[in-house]
Amino acid sequence: MSGLSSESARPWSTRGRQWLRTVLGPFLALVLVVAVFTVADNMQADGGKFATLRNAQNILVQSATVAIAALGMTMIIISAGIDLSAGTTMALSATVLAWFLREGYPPPLAVAIGVGTGCLAGFINGSLISLLRVVPFIITLGTMTIYLGLAKMIGRSTMVRPDRAQIPDWMGELLLPRLKYEWMIFPPGVWLLLILALLVSAVLRYTVFGKHVFAIGSSEATARLCGINVPLTRIAIYTIAGFFVGMAGLYQFARLTIGDPTSGTGKELPIIAAVVIGGGSLSGGRGSILGTLTGALIMQVISSGCTALKQPNPIQEIIIGAIIVAAVTVDQFRRGSG
Amino acid sequence: MQRWAFGLLLLAALAGCHRGEPSADSSPGANGNGKRLRIAVIPKGTTHVFWKSVHAGALQAAKELKASGVHVEIQWKGPLLENDREGQINVMQDFIAQGVDGIILAPLDSTALVTSVLDAKTAGIPTVIFDSGLADEDAIVSYVATDNYNGGALAAREIGKRLAGKGNVILLRYNVGSESTEQRERGFLETLHKEFPGLNILSDDQYSGTTPLEAQNKALELCNQFGDRVNGFFAVCEPNTVGVLGALEQEGLAGKVIFVGFDPGPQLVPALEAGKIHGLVLQDPLAMGYESVKTLVAHMQGKEVEKRIATGETMATPENMKQPEIQKLLVPEQAD
Repeated sequence: MSGLSSESARPWSTRGRQWLRTVLGPFLALVLVVAVFTVADNMQADGGKFATLRNAQNILVQSATVAIAALGMTMIIISAGIDLSAGTTMALSATVLAWFLREGYPPPLAVAIGVGTGCLAGFINGSLISLLRVVPFIITLGTMTIYLGLAKMIGRSTMVRPDRAQIPDWMGELLLPRLKYEWMIFPPGVWLLLILALLVSAVLRYTVFGKHVFAIGSSEATARLCGINVPLTRIAIYTIAGFFVGMAGLYQFARLTIGDPTSGTGKELPIIAAVVIGGGSLSGGRGSILGTLTGALIMQVISSGCTALKQPNPIQEIIIGAIIVAAVTVDQFRRGSG
Repeated sequence: MQRWAFGLLLLAALAGCHRGEPSADSSPGANGNGKRLRIAVIPKGTTHVFWKSVHAGALQAAKELKASGVHVEIQWKGPLLENDREGQINVMQDFIAQGVDGIILAPLDSTALVTSVLDAKTAGIPTVIFDSGLADEDAIVSYVATDNYNGGALAAREIGKRLAGKGNVILLRYNVGSESTEQRERGFLETLHKEFPGLNILSDDQYSGTTPLEAQNKALELCNQFGDRVNGFFAVCEPNTVGVLGALEQEGLAGKVIFVGFDPGPQLVPALEAGKIHGLVLQDPLAMGYESVKTLVAHMQGKEVEKRIATGETMATPENMKQPEIQKLLVPEQAD
């Protein structure tokens, strides 16, 4: 089984080196971006606030929603797929969650149903791709607006606003930079994200399922010839990814305290960008969880840094765009030389 | 080789980091009489002309304060996408982490931004709210905005006056959950009921949606249904007004139906001049930016400030639109 993907067939030293290359690249980029902004901020008259714990908490909190959704997107992209519906699914999950809270259901149930909605949306994506044999790009382009429509239906075209009292404290504190317990350093949502990231990373690296994900992404035909149940594996991948998008919905709701059916429109792009900046290849077979987390952080550091340096929004948008192009170009060079 | 260059760059950057720190306090910006106040102004979006006028007003206040010896620096930043509540929360949190001295915010949502404003308060940063309300009034210093209810009432009186109290009127609403426009709608309907009992409302339950195109489609539907009977039309905000104007022109009703809109715009001012629009309710974005900064600084200096500051609303008509004080509101100054 392990002979399927070219990756696992190589001796350890080569794999190790390749891992260093794919993961270290984005990581160095992150260090560089942080360093550049720290220096520039310190040269300002009233600077010195960028490289602080409070700002680090901020950046982690702000990137957590994109990052947790990007965990699933990494799996999808490794399997040579894409999920354009991630953004609207996230908003759908948040809206469903808000609706159940507002109607007075117990919070744990509301969370379970909200996250479950994400799983279901992913399951539908995977099933449609497998059954209809249409490329993921088209299927999820369609479900993107379907899920948006469903969210609007649930919200009756407006926000779903539970009462403040209906939102449990732990949910409000999930991603609050102002900490309840100082010793936690980061809010619980950030720790949960890190634990889940470790879990997915382990699944991709050490389980048969993980190897199948890489195999399908490297060559679907070969994977099929080797006896992998491609349709079933694909459904599993999209369902698991849906779980993470559902979690992103919970995260978004925790920050907004309202369910906004349209809040996910366009959010699939930063999620995909996080994976790509982190070294994921849209042609499949490559990507790493650590890289993805780094990618999400890079985007947020730039955004936060531009505020610190008083740079207007257009500059920030151009820098992020340039970084995406640069990341993918560097990635191609690496592939060429590797 | 490449990696070496990269590493060197990084080292240089880190070295620069150490040099930068001690010089931070001795830079020229921080000296002078008294501390420089950094005030963050966060609009709902950054592309619409309305916000550019708010920005101009804020800068004007900063200039005046500087002349009186208070150095204020305006940091202008909105969410990347219009209507992106999460993006606006991010901008708030960034500014709190930067430790700005005060925040002026036009909340995209009356409840979603409460947590961030409370967070600022905990960090000792006062917040002035402008344009749209915040659910938690205790968290803020002051609320600087148009009296939208009165704006709707002005529109009702203009239509009532022009129709001499008799006829059929349509109200096209904006969007569910938008607080400012809901107040305009309420002000319009209540004034109409109270002061013009002879006016009959044909339709008041339709929502235009957020873009001019959606509004135009909705207005066309209404024209198809009531076109032969309608005498008066009120559109509650700019995209809505643009859409209704398009529909009236298309149906050949422009100029015949008494039409009052809200907010000026490049398409609307000429239409007002041509008599296709009979009234535009004008807000004063310049005053909003100006008063917000003045109020916040007064609060920081320990003065008592009003909890609610109305910036005024004015009816522009084809007859009065050439007057300089109306012109100033029809084509307000903008920051570049």
